[in-house]
Amino acid sequence: MEDIKKLILDTVKDAVIEEKQKLTVTVEWTKLPLLAKTLRNNKDLPFDFLVNLIGVDRGEELGVNYLICSSKDLSKEIVLKTSTTNRENPLLYTVTDIYESAHYSEREVYALLGIRFINNPDMRKFFLNSDWKGFPLRKDYDTNPDINPVSIESKEIQDIAPRIMETEEGQLLEETVKVFEDDDYVINIGPQHPSTHGVMHFRVSLDGENIKKIDVHSGYIHRGIEKLSESLTYPQILHFTDRLDYLSANMNRHALCMCIEQAAEIEVPLRAQYIRTIMDELNRIDSHCLAWATHTNDLGATTAFIYGMREREVILQIFEKTCGGRLIINQNVVGGVMFDIYKDFQKDVKAFIPYMREKLAEYDRFFSHNVIALGRMVNIGHLSKENAIAYGVTGPAGRASGWSCDIRKHIPYALYDQVNFKEVIRTEGDSYARYLNRLDEIEQSLCIIEQLIDNIPEGEICAKTKPIIRLPEGEYHARVEAARGEFGVFIESRGDKFPYRLKFRSPSMQLVSAMPLICKGEKIADFIGIGGSMDYVIPDIDR
Amino acid sequence: MNSLSKYFLGIYTGVKSLLVGMSVTWKELWTKKVTQQYPENRKTLVVSDRFRCELTMPHDENNEHACTACGICQMNCPNGTIDVQSKMIETEDGKKKKILDVYTWDQGMCTFCNLCVITCPSSAIKFENNFENSVFNRRKLIHRLNNEGSKLREKKKEVKPAESKAE
Amino acid sequence: MMLLNYSQPLELTKLIKWFDNLLRASLPEFWTLLIEFVVVALALLAVYVVVALLLIYAERKITAFFQARIGPNRAGKWGLLQSPADMIKILLKEIIKISRSDRFLFFAAPFFMIVASFATFAAIPFGQSLHAIDFNIGVLYVIAISSLGIIGVFLAGWSSNNKYSMIGAMRSGAQFVSYELSAGFALMTIVVLSGTMQFSEMIEGQRYCWNIFNGHISSLIAFVIYLISGHAETNRGPFDLPEAESELTAGYHTEYSGIMFGYYYLAEYLNMFVIASIATTVFLGGYLPFEIQGWDGFNQIMNYIPSYVWFFGKTFVLIFLSLWVRWSFPRLRIDQLLNLEWKYLLPINLLNIVLMVLLVLTGLTLKDLFGIL
Repeated sequence: MEDIKKLILDTVKDAVIEEKQKLTVTVEWTKLPLLAKTLRNNKDLPFDFLVNLIGVDRGEELGVNYLICSSKDLSKEIVLKTSTTNRENPLLYTVTDIYESAHYSEREVYALLGIRFINNPDMRKFFLNSDWKGFPLRKDYDTNPDINPVSIESKEIQDIAPRIMETEEGQLLEETVKVFEDDDYVINIGPQHPSTHGVMHFRVSLDGENIKKIDVHSGYIHRGIEKLSESLTYPQILHFTDRLDYLSANMNRHALCMCIEQAAEIEVPLRAQYIRTIMDELNRIDSHCLAWATHTNDLGATTAFIYGMREREVILQIFEKTCGGRLIINQNVVGGVMFDIYKDFQKDVKAFIPYMREKLAEYDRFFSHNVIALGRMVNIGHLSKENAIAYGVTGPAGRASGWSCDIRKHIPYALYDQVNFKEVIRTEGDSYARYLNRLDEIEQSLCIIEQLIDNIPEGEICAKTKPIIRLPEGEYHARVEAARGEFGVFIESRGDKFPYRLKFRSPSMQLVSAMPLICKGEKIADFIGIGGSMDYVIPDIDR
Repeated sequence: MNSLSKYFLGIYTGVKSLLVGMSVTWKELWTKKVTQQYPENRKTLVVSDRFRCELTMPHDENNEHACTACGICQMNCPNGTIDVQSKMIETEDGKKKKILDVYTWDQGMCTFCNLCVITCPSSAIKFENNFENSVFNRRKLIHRLNNEGSKLREKKKEVKPAESKAE
Repeated sequence: MMLLNYSQPLELTKLIKWFDNLLRASLPEFWTLLIEFVVVALALLAVYVVVALLLIYAERKITAFFQARIGPNRAGKWGLLQSPADMIKILLKEIIKISRSDRFLFFAAPFFMIVASFATFAAIPFGQSLHAIDFNIGVLYVIAISSLGIIGVFLAGWSSNNKYSMIGAMRSGAQFVSYELSAGFALMTIVVLSGTMQFSEMIEGQRYCWNIFNGHISSLIAFVIYLISGHAETNRGPFDLPEAESELTAGYHTEYSGIMFGYYYLAEYLNMFVIASIATTVFLGGYLPFEIQGWDGFNQIMNYIPSYVWFFGKTFVLIFLSLWVRWSFPRLRIDQLLNLEWKYLLPINLLNIVLMVLLVLTGLTLKDLFGIL
């Protein structure tokens, strides 16, 4: 990393480099695109993966943190920080031309913090209506409900996108662009639709059955978890994570616990690590079973859907007996886990492993080689490796495009450095590769569980923590591999028992951001099928 | 010729894959169904002991509970579902003491995160697995957990039993 | 053709004869016919509804078993009252009028659907003497009338003022036009074999050798093609693109409610039955029992089972097959659907007709080879 530091200083002379939890580089906002571009185009170690884009209200100034890392080695991370002191009309440069995944994140930052990004092609608010007053994540936001009353009138959706472009002479030009052409045949897929997997709204313009353009309209179930968290203690925040991507509830919670533990320097007992890892993998199987089921259902095979649910039920039973929850399993706490395993846990899990293997073979026979299913998946929704990285598509979908992006391999946490498992990578990048990747990952998860289940050591399940957890001042990141991709947590602490700013990196948001790209030109029926193969969960996006 | 054989090979593999798929459903047709018939199987239904459905405050046979009205659960609850009402009484030896008056829990707002139970210093509350909690009115979801006339269980055995009957 | 006289104690022939004679004895010709028409119509209507209800129940139950579920089990014993209960519910439901839709066409559409399915239903021979109209061009009539249903689908999609419905209707149009061809050609193959278009003659010709055996390879191919294209015509999965629940919510009938939706629902099930029963009549010997020439004892036993039981039994087997297929496969995409028809079914079908003609002309059918009557 020394040569990277040198590169940074060569590019931007007055960059401030600090060695914190991550290498942190603070630059002036005008210099940021240049630095990002340089790092992105670095030959040996290109920092081409924007993990997280975090808007922060730092009091006097409004800023953005970019956590970037290299797609070749995810453990090489740099945090870029920039800010503006203009609170009235804060402007920063976009990085959308460098990292495609920044597009929606920047729109989110605009909606929640009011920072506008110059040169972003579409600067509508994400999550919030265009007429929302105030910026919720600012510290001086007025929460008075009278300012933004609940409307029972239906509102027309804004089809004209404002944006700020910089001309070649360096002048800023406010302009608007039309999202759709006047004579486009636009249909609404969602917010209520059987196949959007939640309350998502895609507006799709069609040419016959072919898709011309997709506009993502999100925020129907935005709950403001990040804002809520700013007034809750760390243990209280934990229960929100289960409600983000509810299908990988345990992994999300693992991420937040890990972030707090790393910040507060709490040692997690080994037994707790074992339980966490096993539960994570069970949760992954559960999620992939459901993903398989819903994907097949999207393709019209209702029977397969119910078969997937049937296998998932066995895992849910184990969850219910372990921690009293089925979907929202509420297992991890700061310092360990809430519940110890029950008496027959090992027996149940060991009985489940051969059962699941048998069912995987059945899935294979039933669906994986079915000629209709192949026709609906092979060479459909192609996502290249370059685009997967640019759009930040991680998880089984990213690995189906040939990108090794498994956090469990790159930045091992819990016990993942002690178990043998294969990172399932395919290079086709189509729906079928994503589909097969999930089934193969179930098999890998079973392998991991097999290696751990007999070796759970005796001991404490939870480290002793102070009654009130205060994190030392600083910025903390944690990344885990959730079922849908990389889930990240960012905490900025000012030494209080509440986080100053908390941000989740949700994998589904990046999956959805790639949808307009990979669906273009496909049939409307395939749009549904591709959505199923990407397997996004909406509450994960609408935090 | 090549394309023709491809054409027929395509038909063959396609039809074969379809038949294999149909064999799976055919097998399923005859297997025992896993569906649980809920109201009928209430007697044999096993719900995990750890299943969190209803917050309760266990009382012993003397109608005594362990809640000291410290309010930690109320403080820890992320949703404000718990309301601990305490009152000051004067004990016989003239000391002022805070005791529990009414402990209410709003089930409708609870997210069952278990924080109240794990932080309770005197283990006075716990979650029960009684899951049949449907009611017709949201107000009925607000439960009072401490019994009428109940009192704090004394830790020291030597303290006289009939003490603060004045409740 | 001389037929052996088997005793068939459970047939309805005598009952019908007796009723006819009774009327003729007491009334003039005109009134007899009028009363008989009304009775036949009422009987058909009753059978129509009962068959639909039974089919709906059977589909739910069988689907559930395929899907590791139990299916309806609350209304009545084994959920037997579920379909009647649903029927009552659907009758009582409000018919929602869509604003800015073409009101007249919107309400007319379901009737096209139901009339088409009913008119086809009436021409089917259910058993000996249980045949309302015996056209001499029965096969042609059935093909022609059953395609009327597409008008209902089209009108529904057009008049609903709903983009989903519109896409569903357009898909449906492409699908119907394509698969009508295959279904028609497959039936024509058998017309070549049996040399008649009249259902009654066609059935009698199959007494000792059903058409599916008679034309062996060629018949079998025609049978499979007919089942596939018939399945596609009824808009049931894997060909349910016009409805495509996971894509178009409910396709062309998205906006319908109450009994208007009920009509579509009813027609869908009846079309399934009609397709299966035409296949039975044309390929599987209709209401005739399974008989082997020369085995009189065996034939006698087979004949004890009344003809309507044979008919419904064979039809049910085909319906079961259709359910099995429906609940095993994912849905095709529109281009795959058309590929299947135009690149596979249609060319094979055309070759198959030629093959059948050759079989008949060169005397290679089973009947010719083994001298079956």
